[in-house]
Parts: sequence; C-alpha cells; structure tokens
Amino acid sequence: MSDNKKWFSLDLGLNNKKESSGSCGCGKSEGSCNSSPKEEELSADEFYEAAINASIGEERHRDGFEQVFDVKMDRRSAFKKLTASLLIGAGAVTTSCSVTTGSDTKEKAQIGWEEQFKGNYKLMTDEEKQGTINRLMRSYELRTDKKINMTAENAAEDVLFGYAFNISKCQGYMNCVSACVEENNQDRNSEMQYIRIHEMKDGEGFKFDKADDNYYHEVPAEGHFYMGTQCFHCDNPPCVEVCPVQATWKEEDGLVVIDYDWCVGCRYCMAACPYDGRRFNWSKPEVPENEVNKNQHYLGNRMRKKGVMEKCTFCVQRTRKGKNPACVEACPTGARIFGNLLDPNSTIRWVLENKKVFRLKEDLGTEPKFWYFMD
Amino acid sequence: MKNRTLIYSVVLLLGIFLFSCKEEGKYHSISDKIEGESKPYHGILTSEELLADTELIEITEGEHTFLIPERKGQIKSFACIECHSKPVSQMMGKDAPKAHWNIKLNHANSDAMNCATCHNGEEMNQLNTLTGKNIDFNLSYKLCAQCHSSQFEDWKGGAHGKKVAGWAPPRASNTCVNCHNPHSPSFEKRWPVQFNTKTAIERNEGLGH
Amino acid sequence: MGAFKVFRSLVVDSLDTITKGSKKYHLWMGFLILVMLIGMYCYSIQLEEGLSATGMSDRVSWGLYISNFTFLVGVAAAAVMLVMPTYVLKDIDFKQAVLIGEGLAVAALIMCLAFVVADMGGPSVLWHMIPGIGVFNFPNSMLTWDVIVLNGYLFINISIPFYILFKHYQNKEAKKSVYVPGAIISVFWAVGIHLVTAFLYQGLQARPFWNNALLGPRFLASAFAAGPALIILVLAVIRSFTAFKIEDKTIKKIAMIVTVAAQINLIMLVSELFKEFYAPTHHSESAYYLFFGLHGKNALLPWIWTAIPLNVLATVILTFNKFRNNLKVLYFCCFMLFVAIWIEKGFGLIVPGFIPGPYGKIVEYLPTGVEIGVTIGIWAMGAFIFTILAKTAIGIELGELRYKDKKA
Repeated sequence: MSDNKKWFSLDLGLNNKKESSGSCGCGKSEGSCNSSPKEEELSADEFYEAAINASIGEERHRDGFEQVFDVKMDRRSAFKKLTASLLIGAGAVTTSCSVTTGSDTKEKAQIGWEEQFKGNYKLMTDEEKQGTINRLMRSYELRTDKKINMTAENAAEDVLFGYAFNISKCQGYMNCVSACVEENNQDRNSEMQYIRIHEMKDGEGFKFDKADDNYYHEVPAEGHFYMGTQCFHCDNPPCVEVCPVQATWKEEDGLVVIDYDWCVGCRYCMAACPYDGRRFNWSKPEVPENEVNKNQHYLGNRMRKKGVMEKCTFCVQRTRKGKNPACVEACPTGARIFGNLLDPNSTIRWVLENKKVFRLKEDLGTEPKFWYFMD
Repeated sequence: MKNRTLIYSVVLLLGIFLFSCKEEGKYHSISDKIEGESKPYHGILTSEELLADTELIEITEGEHTFLIPERKGQIKSFACIECHSKPVSQMMGKDAPKAHWNIKLNHANSDAMNCATCHNGEEMNQLNTLTGKNIDFNLSYKLCAQCHSSQFEDWKGGAHGKKVAGWAPPRASNTCVNCHNPHSPSFEKRWPVQFNTKTAIERNEGLGH
Repeated sequence: MGAFKVFRSLVVDSLDTITKGSKKYHLWMGFLILVMLIGMYCYSIQLEEGLSATGMSDRVSWGLYISNFTFLVGVAAAAVMLVMPTYVLKDIDFKQAVLIGEGLAVAALIMCLAFVVADMGGPSVLWHMIPGIGVFNFPNSMLTWDVIVLNGYLFINISIPFYILFKHYQNKEAKKSVYVPGAIISVFWAVGIHLVTAFLYQGLQARPFWNNALLGPRFLASAFAAGPALIILVLAVIRSFTAFKIEDKTIKKIAMIVTVAAQINLIMLVSELFKEFYAPTHHSESAYYLFFGLHGKNALLPWIWTAIPLNVLATVILTFNKFRNNLKVLYFCCFMLFVAIWIEKGFGLIVPGFIPGPYGKIVEYLPTGVEIGVTIGIWAMGAFIFTILAKTAIGIELGELRYKDKKA
C-alpha cells in the first residue's frame, strides 16, 4: 500500500500473500493466522462468522443488483456492526485472523474492509481512485458473476459544463426523465427522478406552486408550456458549503458531485438546495439486474446504498467522454442544449450570447450553470 | 489578570473570524468566469470517435462551419430517377402505377405549398428552391430556411435542433429532416412516457386527516 | 496516582448510590430503562429499513429528530443562566441549583448528539466527521461548528461540576481560580452553541422561513425561557423527593429569568408575525402554512395554536409578581411555557421551513411510530443520565458520599 494515504488503511495480508504469514494484521505467531486452515476449521467457524459479520455483514447472501457495500443490518447484529465500524481496528483483527476456507470470501472481506475505511474520493490520488473502482468492479463480479465497467476519469482541461433549456421547445413528453432514470440506475422502488417537468399555464408566468410536475394526460396540453428543472450545478453551490464532511464538491469542470461512500446522510445539503436538486435514499435502492447500466463512473451512476444523497451529475460517465447527457440525447424536441462554456465556438456559448437567457432564483447568488431561453 | 483574559479571548475570537473568512472567488459571476477562463482555449476532448459510424458532410453557413448527417444514403428509395425516369408531368396518367400514396402533405396550407414547392418535377434527384434553383437532397435545410428564417438562424448557432453524438468538437448537428418529417413537420400530441405514482400518492393522500 | 484511586472510589460509591433508593426511585429507573429499550428496538428497525421507516421524505427531509435536537440545544444553553450569577456574579442563591443545571445541560447535550446520530443516514460512517481521521469541512459548514461547540460545551459542563464534586467528595474546598475561568468561558460558549445552532438554519438562502436575522436572537430568548423553566420543574421534583435543600429564593430568582426571557421572546414573536403578515410576500408562505394552512394542508394548525396561547398565557401570568411568587402557579406556568416552546421551536420551526418546497410543492409530515419510539427513547435516556448525575451530585453535596481513605 502506498505511503501517502491520508487515512487509516488496513492490510489484511491478502496483498502480501507471498510474504510470510507473520505479516498479517493480527500480529500473532504463524500458526494462528491463515496458515493452517485444516486443523482449526471447526473451532474457527464462529470466529469466521463474526469476522465476516463485522466487516461485510450479509454480503455473502447477496443476490442480484447490489453492488455497493451496503452493510445490511439485522436486528441482532445491528449494534454489533455499528460498534465494529466505529471502533477501527477491533474488527480488523478478527477478520485478518479468521481462518477461511474460500479465498473468495476472504477477498470479499478484504474488499469490504478497504471500502469501509477508504478515504474521501476528492482527496485521492489517481492510483487510489483506480484502486477503489477496481475493488468495486471486482466485488460486483464476485457477487453476481457479471462484469461492470467503472471509470474514474478526472475533469478535462479547459472544460466547464453548461446547460440551456428552451422553454418554447419543450413539449412535456418526459423522455428525458425516463432516459435519466435508466442511465443513472435510480431506485425503481421509490421512483426516484432527478428531473422534474413543470406544466405551467400560459399567461400566469412562473407559478411553480400552481404548476403540475406530475401530470398524466396528452401533451402538450392546450394553453400550457413546460419547464424542466434538475440540479443546476451552481458555480457557487450552497450544498457544497454546508456539507460537514466534504462528501460533495465542485469538480474542475463545474460538475457538483457526491462521493456516495463518504456521505454520512445528514441531509443538510438537501435543506440548503434552493432548486430541489438533491435526492436521498430513504431505503435501499433497487434496480433489477437486467436494467442496470453497466457503464459507470465512480461519481456518477454507480450503485448507491441506503442513507446517502444522490443527484444529477450531468451524466458524468458520459460527458467526460465527450457524449451528451442522457436527457439531452433523449429529448425529441431539441429543447436541451449542453456544452462547454469555455469553448468560444460551442453551441452553448452561442445560445448564451445570442438568445435571451435567464436563470432561476438568480437573486440567491448561487450562479447556476443552467440557463433558460425562448425561441 | 482579568484584563489579560479579556484580551486573550478577544484575540482568539478575532483569529477565528479571520480564519473563517472565505477565500474570495477570483470571479464575481459565472459570466466573468467564462470570459476569464476561456481566453486561451485549448480543449482536447473530441467526439470524433463517437461520430465515426455516421457519414457526415461539412457545410458552411455564414460564419458557422459544422457537420451534418449525409441524407441521400438514408432515403430508402433513393435515387429517385430509378423510378422517375421521366419528368413527373410525363409520368402522370391513368394507367401509371400510383406511388407515394401514403404521403399526405401536412405542411402549411395548400395555397402556400404543394409537392413542387420543394421537389423538382423535372429532375427528380434534386430539390428546388422557390425560385427554381436546384438543391441537393443532402442540403435540404436550405429549402426550410427559405421560410423558417429565425429557426434557421437558431439552428446555425446551435440553439435549435440536436447534436449528432456529443458536445465535444467537432460540431455535428442534426439537420431539419432528422427530427421533422418534411411532409408533416410539427410534433404530435402524445402521452408522456413517465408518471410518478409515488409522488402522486405522497402529495394527494396527505396525512389522512 | 492518588487522584486515580479517589476517582475509582468515587465511581464505586456513585454506582452504589444510584443502584439504591426508594421504591419510587426504582420504579422510575425501571420505567426509563423500559422506554429506552423500546427506543433501541425502534432504532434497530430504522437501521434495517433505512430512514424510510420515519415520516420524512424528500420534501420534508428533517423532522422530529432535528426538531428535538434544536430544542434541546436551547435547554443545554440555559444552564448558563445559572452559572453566570453563581460563579461570576457570586450570587450564593444559585449555588445549589447550578449543579443541577449543569447536570441538565450534560443530559440535554447527550440527547442532542443522540438525536443527530439517529437522524443520520449512515451512522456507520460517522467517523468521517471526526477531525483528523475523517474530513472536517471547517469553517465552511455550520454543522462542523455545531459539532465543535456542542462537544466543547459538553466537555466544559462535565468538567466544572466534576471538579467541584470531586473536591467536595474529598472534603476539600474547590479552588475558585480553577473553575471560575471555566465558568466564564462556558457563559460565552452557551450563547455560542445556541447562536451557532440558529446559524445552521439561518444561513440557508433556500429556506426563507429560516433565513431571517431574528432567528438567532429568538433562539436565545426562547432557550432562556424554556431551559430555566425545566430547571425549576426539576428543582421542584428534587425538593420534594430528596433531602437536598433548595430555597424558595433560588426558585424565585430563576423564575425571574424565565419571565424576562419569555417576555423578550414574545416581543420577537410579534415582530416576526408582523413581518410575515403585514406585507406578505412569496416568502411568507411557510408562515401561512404554519398558522393558517396552505392549499388545504394544515397538519400543524392544532400544534401551533396550542403553543401560541400557552406561550402568551404563561408569559402574562408570570409577569405579575403575585402569581409568579405562588409556587404552584409558577410550576404550572413553567410547564406551559416548556410545552409551548417545545412545539414552537421544535417542529413548529423545522417542518414549515420545508413547506412549501423549493417549487411550491407541499408534502406534509407526520412522524411514524418508529420515529416517535426513538424520540421517546432518547428522552428517557436523557432523564436516565440526569437522574444518575443528580443522585450522585446530591449525595456528595449532602455529605452522604465521602471519600474514605482506606489507609486511615
């Protein structure tokens, strides 16, 4: 393990299999750690059970779509595990000393620990970023026998993402909403959606309280216009300011992102957002295995766990590769324009310079990078 | 003794205040930031790879040069002269087989437009402008631009229409006929593809009192 | 070494004291333990199902937990109202009350922390918040300020009484030069914890209901009414159940504090109501929802219309010397005031902040059984902790608990 880590890290001995077994975390003599599984198998059963429970809980029995280390708690082990995670080290000893039979389970435990006690993604070096996405991909494979492709691309140079929404073009078909849900692996149970389309009456101006954002009738409805909202990726984001653990931050290319594994779930950011841009996983998010989008980014559409925030990332897994966000691609009317604000030849720049643009709640000083305009 | 404590606490408070002063951003607003940071622009991301499968042609309109999808290869029965071997006027007749019977023109009214407004009846592989100048099928947007000038301006700049693959340069924009059926260009009414039952329950059921 | 021995003896002695008592005492402690167990069971359900087991939603994302947290910060801060006259102004009257007040502050702070933990989506990663090990977003996030000041206040409020009791336990006089500076710091600190907690809400431009300059001062005023009111009630109980002597004069002095704070609080309430309803803007909708209901949604009406009359009535009664000096009336008024402020500064403050949502949408909030169970459990825990602390402190102060040197 690299020396420049900024947090506690745990070595369970997996990484140095070739070295002598004395180097494993328990510090005991050779006989009691990892070297003699056969003799101690029976007596070690309980020990092993406790170790796995302490670190990954029900991970072994997981089926399907769960990719994250959402440590499931049953009533009996809830408090045990809570203590285990809080008391760094106690569990480490049990795990590393456990005598296991399958290397897979051992590997899962190892990954579970490293994930539980890894640092904040924002502060990771590129190698550490690569390390965590490798672990996440490997653990998904171990659990489902299926592969996912996760990346950790950083922001490209001279890129600042911006978005423009044409309120005279939007017809309210909501193709963007469903494309977003599918692209970003949003929880199907609670029907989480990042995008809202508000149906407004002509002649009344922006009366959001009177607008319907969950209509179901033929659209466009007579005498109405449509306006979409989502996370506006503010340049001065209040949500980032208030986060007590810097689990959410603004990337170099202007995307406001969340490290789902670092979030403690206090929901302060949700209270601070004036645009209803943030969503919370009130229960365990579920996506049917065959609907999982397997092209993922660490900061984007990878699977979330319960009790963490999530939000629109302008589809970071797509946009950092030069593609458009899923909503832009899905929009049948071309109401959504996306591009690089720093490129003087980009279409978004042309829109900002030539159309009559405005933003929502500009008086709050949040500087959203999401503009509205009309034909 | 007491004075000293007081001084210490004041200094401490001042220190905390200074420490908590946020670093002022370099820019006052996002427009300043855009202007300030885009000066030497050298973005490297491209969408060339994403465009590799699409056949594109480059056009220049005013100060804008960009790519649009090639059209002729997408029209099923191109080239037209494979059937329309003679001008339409000569092919029309009672015994000739009917073609394109399913096309119903739903574009402006019949006083303003008919088939010949765009299609060249003499030279079927070409379109023609209002003044009778030939236009290639690949450049059909020029026909639309004759009437829809404001949309054309927006399209050239990028405010109207969609991109082919991604946001990254080179710019490849869909042309008019990629989204609009030229014979019936407006979008139709339909049902939204999504309805959030959970939100509906949450809002309408209230608290049950 | 010697201090450690004394400490061990103190722990043993206090364990001995808190496990012995009258039948009523045992019944009370048994009841608290039962409620705590129920609360823990409810919390385990919440851990398993996630926060969907509560009544909170994306619209109203803070509920009963944060409401109680906010209120209890006020209760904790109120201990200062007793500390200041005793230690700084050298008013002997409060000497007996101050230990009780600080015990109350400790219990309230522990409850605060418990409520915050209960509200977290990921309690297993709370170590991310520990400075040094995790990443602490200081000074940007007001929540980090709150963590610092609450824990600091907890430390002060444990250490001062502990020092005094520790000395008294050994039959020694506590040194003024040791605890008076601590007491002075704690006076500033108490104002700090409540102001910082108010800033937690006040700093959110997204929520106009909270985003007003009066929120902080009003927090202080209501805290200095509700906190000492609770202290009066607790002193009344202690007076009737233990031999600990608390003079009428002390209670009357605290009553004076309650009265003044309640009056100031009322003035601020009037000012707030004037601002919201004289020239109502779009930003007054939350206040409309709270007081009159909005678009047919009116879940908070019965609560707030209980709180306001109670508040006004109690303040008016307390204002008259004749009534205030009658202890029975005083206790009743304190109870009314406590309930009124609990409603008003609990979910009467938190929930309307979220209603209507950023886009005018209304989803009402009603706590679930699990949520209420956890809340009551935490209150029981607070009462439990306070009882233990108070019993030990009273034992020492009465001279029942004394260090017996084994050698002697």
